[in-house]
Amino acid sequence: MKLGVAIVVIAAFAAIAAPVLAPYAPDRKFGGLLNAPPTVPHLRDDDGGWHRPFIYRWRLVDQLEQLYVEDRSARFQLVWFTQGHFVLSSNEGAAPLLLAGTDSFGRDVFSRLLFGARTSLGIAIVAALGALLLGASVGGIAGYSGGGVDETLMRVTDFVMVLPAMYVALALRSVLPLVLSPSTVFALLTIIFAILGAPFVARGVRAIVRTERRLDYAAAAEALGASGPRLLFVHLLPAARGFLAVEMTMLIPAFVVAEATLSYIGLGFSDPIASWGTMLRDAASVRVFADFPWLLSPAIAMFMVVLGLNLALQRAPEAMRYGRPNRGVESIR
Amino acid sequence: MSGLTRYIARRVAFALLLVIIVSSAALVLARLAPGDFAASSVGLEARPETIEQTRARLGLNKSIGAQYRDWLASAIRLDFGRSLQYDRPVTELIPERAANTAILSVTALLLATVVGVPLGTIAGSRGRGILPDAIRAVSLVLLSMPPLLTSLFLVFVAARTGWFPIAGMRSAAPVDGGATLDLLHHLVVPSLAIGLPLAAMLERLQAQAVSETIGQPFIVAAIARGVPRSRVLWRDAFKASLRSVAAVYGLVIGTLLSGSFAVEIITAWPGLGSLMLDALRARDVFLVAGCAGTGAVFLGIGTLASDLALAALDPRAREA
Amino acid sequence: MTLDVEPWLAESWSADADGRRFTIKLRQGVTFSDGHPFTADDVVFTFRAAYDERTASALHDSMLVAGKPLDVAAVDPHTLTLTFPSAFAPGVRILDNLPIFPKHKLEPMLQAGTLAKAWGLSTPPAEIVGLGPFVLKEYAPGQRIVLDRNPRYWRKAADGGALPYLDRLTLEVIRDQNAELLRLTSGQIDFTYTEVPPESYASVKRAAADGIVRLFDLGVSMDPDSFWFNLKPGAFDGDPRAAWLQKDELRRAISMAVDRRRFSDTVFFGAGEPVYLPVTPANKKWYPSDLAPIAHDPAGAKALLASIGLTDRNGDGTLEDAHGQPVRFTLITQAGRPRLERGAAVVKDELAKIGIAMDVATLDPAAVIDAFFVKKKYEAVYFHAAFSDTDPATTPDFWFSSGGQHFWNMSQPKPATDWEKQIDELMARQIATPDERERKRLFAEVLRVFSAHQPVIYFAAPRVYVAVASRVTNVTPAVYVTPVLWDPDTIAIRH
Repeated sequence: MKLGVAIVVIAAFAAIAAPVLAPYAPDRKFGGLLNAPPTVPHLRDDDGGWHRPFIYRWRLVDQLEQLYVEDRSARFQLVWFTQGHFVLSSNEGAAPLLLAGTDSFGRDVFSRLLFGARTSLGIAIVAALGALLLGASVGGIAGYSGGGVDETLMRVTDFVMVLPAMYVALALRSVLPLVLSPSTVFALLTIIFAILGAPFVARGVRAIVRTERRLDYAAAAEALGASGPRLLFVHLLPAARGFLAVEMTMLIPAFVVAEATLSYIGLGFSDPIASWGTMLRDAASVRVFADFPWLLSPAIAMFMVVLGLNLALQRAPEAMRYGRPNRGVESIR
Repeated sequence: MSGLTRYIARRVAFALLLVIIVSSAALVLARLAPGDFAASSVGLEARPETIEQTRARLGLNKSIGAQYRDWLASAIRLDFGRSLQYDRPVTELIPERAANTAILSVTALLLATVVGVPLGTIAGSRGRGILPDAIRAVSLVLLSMPPLLTSLFLVFVAARTGWFPIAGMRSAAPVDGGATLDLLHHLVVPSLAIGLPLAAMLERLQAQAVSETIGQPFIVAAIARGVPRSRVLWRDAFKASLRSVAAVYGLVIGTLLSGSFAVEIITAWPGLGSLMLDALRARDVFLVAGCAGTGAVFLGIGTLASDLALAALDPRAREA
Repeated sequence: MTLDVEPWLAESWSADADGRRFTIKLRQGVTFSDGHPFTADDVVFTFRAAYDERTASALHDSMLVAGKPLDVAAVDPHTLTLTFPSAFAPGVRILDNLPIFPKHKLEPMLQAGTLAKAWGLSTPPAEIVGLGPFVLKEYAPGQRIVLDRNPRYWRKAADGGALPYLDRLTLEVIRDQNAELLRLTSGQIDFTYTEVPPESYASVKRAAADGIVRLFDLGVSMDPDSFWFNLKPGAFDGDPRAAWLQKDELRRAISMAVDRRRFSDTVFFGAGEPVYLPVTPANKKWYPSDLAPIAHDPAGAKALLASIGLTDRNGDGTLEDAHGQPVRFTLITQAGRPRLERGAAVVKDELAKIGIAMDVATLDPAAVIDAFFVKKKYEAVYFHAAFSDTDPATTPDFWFSSGGQHFWNMSQPKPATDWEKQIDELMARQIATPDERERKRLFAEVLRVFSAHQPVIYFAAPRVYVAVASRVTNVTPAVYVTPVLWDPDTIAIRH
């Protein structure tokens, strides 16, 4: 669990400190360095001598095929804590520091990763929390009440689920002004995703609450005078904590990707805002696996974040469970 | 009528209502979107009069209200209009494509269940260890990859190795081994593309549910009584933990249709997802409505199956 | 590909003294794919169908000269006369636009006024009868079109053998460019309908090195992408930017500000040429060789903008007009087309350098067409529009102010500006003059006026690469709408 928390904290820190940690602005384009591979920092040169960290520059061999060759004739030392950045190359013009290579516009992928974390993780986490909140409330009330309320709520969630999101988005796009400010897009996407994610959460929570409802401890709490809402929120819903934690780790990557799909119809971000979703969509080409694998780094970053969250949230449900006996069995082999 | 029959009848009735509502909503939404089929199909060579005449011929110059009323009137007679792009009745275009998507979805779902649920049970029952950690890592990788990239990767591998066809549902020319084998051969790449991320999702849900279940008194009691551990796991804990998976299974079935369009496009699988996307791009309003309605049917079946499974799994939660 | 007219169904033709009347002799012994003989009546019928108001054919406008229809009459089953309403220099070239339809199948529909619906996507393939090398065998909606060879095709090979060589041609609908490319480079399809985009060049080159495909480099393409503003008078009434948004100086400044080399390097990875006009060097006959390119001159652009009162008054990096209104406008372009999206991004960067703020809105294709073609409510558009032919006289709808494809201000009742009036007059003379040198001179003048006012701004055109599977022989790829299939008769497969 500690590892998980550490990963999440590092990711959050990286996102927040992006302007300092990232060598460049996310929309800075390096002409002549399109789809360039990462400039790997070295410590030893070809003769075996040790130096402070340095990089070699890329020499363009074929422009149309984006082929580069490392120019080992000159070393460019890395400089630290200058011009408001954590690390830069000593000669920006000749050898920019490209820790994760560049994309097809010549933009530094590493910087875009950091800045993109703000956008994508921001939306995904807020939307996921929204979906969890909305879904848990609806599912909890449905599972608790049963009967007509349950049926009505579940049919409403069915309707939300089956309405094709793309059509709604397209219609929405047409009534909105052509140019949307990033904050508007952020708010819009968060709300849309929260609504779209809620039904999955609602069904799962409903199933859990329904069974918990009939267990002895719930009956006991009721007998002791617990009111409906109190019973639901304090006693029953916590049983769904585990499910909610897993749902969160699944919704987040789904939302990052959905953001890229919506940008196809114009409900997305454009320069200078970077987002992991659009980075991945731009990366979806035939050449990426064989020739430009560094373009897949947002997927790796997403994996790290999701892994961290998963590890961090994993033990939490076990920690507090009101009124239920502590686990006697940790595992069954 | 028994309670169960009444329940099913109620759900079916509601599902039909949902189909109508969703189809109507899709029709209206497609009309609201800017542009229409006439302009985008006739192209830039046409004069405005040509576009207007095409519109009149196709019935696109009616107001949204009038068009909806006409559509509803014929829909009740089970005539869902003609596709503007393909000039065929919607009811002729959809079933074949829906069947293709169903074949793909069922295969992917089977794959995902057979792989994901047992792996999740193992991962959830062991807590720490190499195996559960590895399973978790693989699941998270699959969940972090967008479906577009997963399918592209699989197609890329298939192209490089030549083991599997990379597109289409059947080969153009007859193949030895027969048509069924040919179909299975073509199914591999797309069903993996859909099934693997799905397996990851089911695995995660199942792992979570199992790790909660094994802490419960009845499990502890069974172990204390001397029941073999594997039997406790695979018979008792497994059954009790399925509720989370069962709950979302229905939604999974229902949304496989719309979620699969990325895969269908890359692997050229002639399914409902790509039909819907084409219809949307072309503003083929009647086909859009038809596809949305079919999606509602899928969802209705899925959620009903899911609710029935939930009731069967946990008698404590059954409706009176 | 020479882009010259050659005898086909018409074996020979001659013009009378004033060039307005042509006598055309049709080839003998030609039948439709169902065996029915092809005669001059079919040609007359086709013209009637094209001009029929009830049918409202898209071919209608392309068969008009100066807005008037041609007069076609059959003299005998294999001879017809074609009379032009006014002098038309390209002459019979106009017939290149016209596929010939069978009178014996479609006459009843024309009479009844239902011709527009006659041959649709649900017509049984056997009903659809034509004169070409292939006939329709099967159509699976949204999936594929299968064409079988037409055993009654009139054309014979040089050695007298029957054409076409191919027995069957299958056109598959592949929606995703990546999927299409993977199938090409793994040998599962024989060629792609359109060119190989520069970003995929490396994959195809690798496949060529492995012997799976042959790669052709055909030089620069014919049709660059177009950037234009809404120049309809009154389009921006009430908008505080109306004073300068439609001004020539703004467009000329934009044209000067964009570094076309950098544009080509970024959008086409260097496999492109700067262009400044609707006509590129690929159009050998009509491209003016003495053209002075528009130099990349950001300082000059800024000066030009200052001359209409647009300067950076408050030091924020963006220009403003005299009322403090920032120079900011919205460009719409089509989502899902990398050339357009990348191009728009480059232009946005270049304009930001001289203080113009351009917002790019990518919309799905139907929405873009709706905005500029139907509703005509937009500020600027970046789009790909292709000409159907190289001779400007056959694309009057673009050049004339009254034309329906005069995108920046369509179908004007009379020219809104002096320079458009000038182009109208020059083009009218260009169309009527029979002397080729004079026509070229007039057209070069048209381009000069066009360049001076930049109603449409062009940046760069990509090089055309075509890949064909190595088992396919006798292909002559050319820079054309269909690079490979323009000449399908002799295509063959090596076994």
